[in-house]
Amino acid sequence: MRFGVLALAVALLGFGLAAATDKPDHWWQPGEGRTFPAKLEYENEGGTLRLLLEGGPMETKGHPFFEPIGPNGRACVTCHQPANAMSLAVPDVQRQWTRNGAKDPLFAAVDGSNCPSLPQGDRASHSLLLDHGLIRIARPWPVKGADFAIEVVRDPSTCNLDPVWGIKSKNPHISVFRRPRPVANFKFIEAMGFAYDPKAGMPLALDPETNKPVAGNLMADGRVPTLTAQMRDAAATHLAFTRNLDAGDIARILDFERRLFVAQQRDSSGTMLDADGAEGGPMKLLVSAPGRLGSQGTPVWSEFEAWEKLPEAEKAKLPKEVREFRDSVARGARVFRDKTFLITDSAGINSPVGFGNPVRNSCVFCHNMSYMGMDVAPGQVDLGTTNLPFADPQPYLPLFRVTCKGKPHPHYGRVIYTHDPGYALTTGKCADVGRITLQTLRGLSARAPYFSNGSAKDLRGVIDYYDRRYSIGYTEQEKRDLVNLMRAL
Amino acid sequence: MKALVLLFALVAADAREAVRFVACPVYRDTDAGKKSGCWLAEDPASGVRYDITSSPTKADWNHAVLVEGFVAQGQSDPCGGVVLDPVRVSVLEQGCTRHMLPAEGFPGRKFALPKRNVRPLYEERTKPAQPFAARTFVIPFDHGSSFVTYQLSDYYLDAAINYALDVQPATVTITGHAATRRERVSGFDLSEPRALAKARADAMARAFQLRGVTVARVATGRESSSADEAFDGLIAPSLRRVEISIEPKQ
Repeated sequence: MRFGVLALAVALLGFGLAAATDKPDHWWQPGEGRTFPAKLEYENEGGTLRLLLEGGPMETKGHPFFEPIGPNGRACVTCHQPANAMSLAVPDVQRQWTRNGAKDPLFAAVDGSNCPSLPQGDRASHSLLLDHGLIRIARPWPVKGADFAIEVVRDPSTCNLDPVWGIKSKNPHISVFRRPRPVANFKFIEAMGFAYDPKAGMPLALDPETNKPVAGNLMADGRVPTLTAQMRDAAATHLAFTRNLDAGDIARILDFERRLFVAQQRDSSGTMLDADGAEGGPMKLLVSAPGRLGSQGTPVWSEFEAWEKLPEAEKAKLPKEVREFRDSVARGARVFRDKTFLITDSAGINSPVGFGNPVRNSCVFCHNMSYMGMDVAPGQVDLGTTNLPFADPQPYLPLFRVTCKGKPHPHYGRVIYTHDPGYALTTGKCADVGRITLQTLRGLSARAPYFSNGSAKDLRGVIDYYDRRYSIGYTEQEKRDLVNLMRAL
Repeated sequence: MKALVLLFALVAADAREAVRFVACPVYRDTDAGKKSGCWLAEDPASGVRYDITSSPTKADWNHAVLVEGFVAQGQSDPCGGVVLDPVRVSVLEQGCTRHMLPAEGFPGRKFALPKRNVRPLYEERTKPAQPFAARTFVIPFDHGSSFVTYQLSDYYLDAAINYALDVQPATVTITGHAATRRERVSGFDLSEPRALAKARADAMARAFQLRGVTVARVATGRESSSADEAFDGLIAPSLRRVEISIEPKQ
């Protein structure tokens, strides 16, 4: 009997290993030439992530999103991994370090280390990427016409005071550290619901290359307006490509990015997120129209409404864990939409747009686009995640002192302490310090940590931050429901 | 002189009780859903507390506000103040000590989408019938500001741009105005700089350019009032505007 159990265990182990070896590693190495299938799934803590490539499979051999074109061996896929919902998750970063150390292209000195001048073989030189999933973004300084001065108060990365890379070098830059944004679901991210940006009091900005309007939901600091400009920017900086992307490369990357839809498909409780009338998962994104305002059409996260309406007799047939999870997600969607709180002193919301300071609203005030939770009225907002006194302690990040030269900031006054001036590094406006572009809420389970600077290590951290920042007073149940909703997206 | 005559004529024509003062606003935290909080402000001269919630621009509890409105007739008191409607609120630079009142039994107002709201791009738009007429659109502004007010200025701006797009080719002329005459309100000097008229006109020209419409001429006009519907009969706010004339080339 004992032998029988052992034999079975060995057989199962053998099967498991065989299955594991049949499956390619979930980390996509640049240039390995796999086929990107029409449907791809990866397990994560929350369940299963699904990626759908509209139009069918695609060969990645020779494809400019997947091929390294520069000396550092990186490709776009290096920081936009399918298993991480086309972003980058800390456990995978650490796995790559364990496997390859500083030789892995991910840890390229230019931005995969805290500063290129540090000894690259040391783990400590890559601590911001390894421990927080943060990539170095170097922004030129001063910005033309800036109405504020900036000083470095503290810089554990060493890069802002570095004689070659720092703010006082011959080629002065400010280094901030941000999470890679997910490269998928662009039908929604690029969508224009209205012709105006109420945060700017103007029609949408124009793409200087095409003279056509663009949505403002792309880059964290709005430094470039389009995917085309973003890929050129990334190729020249993060990827250190030895040649410029040509029109053909750009068209192929755009084609891939715009066909790709990503969302959580199955929850670890055992329920499919599109079961019994629910509409979770990426297929809903693929077939739905983008840029619709939830308050004037399909309410945000009503994908899970069917679970509320399921007859009790039907619910009773479900396993307890599934039933409880579904109820929680449906409640979480309602809390997201309906639980109001006072939003205060947040530039981009309370100023200059005229909504009032404070204004009572819920999460959907900003996360208002049906199916995605992006902002239909694009632009950047300051939630305080990078600005004191609201930001949580982040002693590993740089701290800057911003002094407004003209009008004081509408909420912080003349002097602002910030880890990342955000949009102000693009506009040069003191009123924009700490304003960051809203993120997509899809595929969250696959890509912790959260917020532009990774300051929330998990989904509970996101809810706890908002609860503190806006004194919302969520109950423990509401917090659990919101976390369950977010892990189902 | 002509402007002054028009101003007097408008005052005479409107018998409603006009109110205009500067004060620190108070937020009353009523909760009847999204955007249901109340804004109150007390006229320092009369000591009357007014409900200024219906203004398109809401107040900021860190800053003083210029209040301009009419006392509403026959309205209930959902916020704890004499209701001003129509009313305009301009957020001033002067700082205030923030203050919030609890609901204290006042229900507030359930938010309703104002009539002056820009419609989404995906919604079908009815285009004007030919022959196209020459039209003038008026864009209102808050005191001291060239920012396009949400659900007021953007509504009229959108209408103007859409008309220009529909009837083009057209000649578009933009004229900015500012309230430049010196006046004291609640002890504050509220005159606007002449340059603001140009800044407003330039902002509108930029908006037209962003929507793909070429502007033939940008100019500034003298201080003058307007009876346009955008001001709901309020005279002082009408001094702060941009006029956009669209002449079809038929």
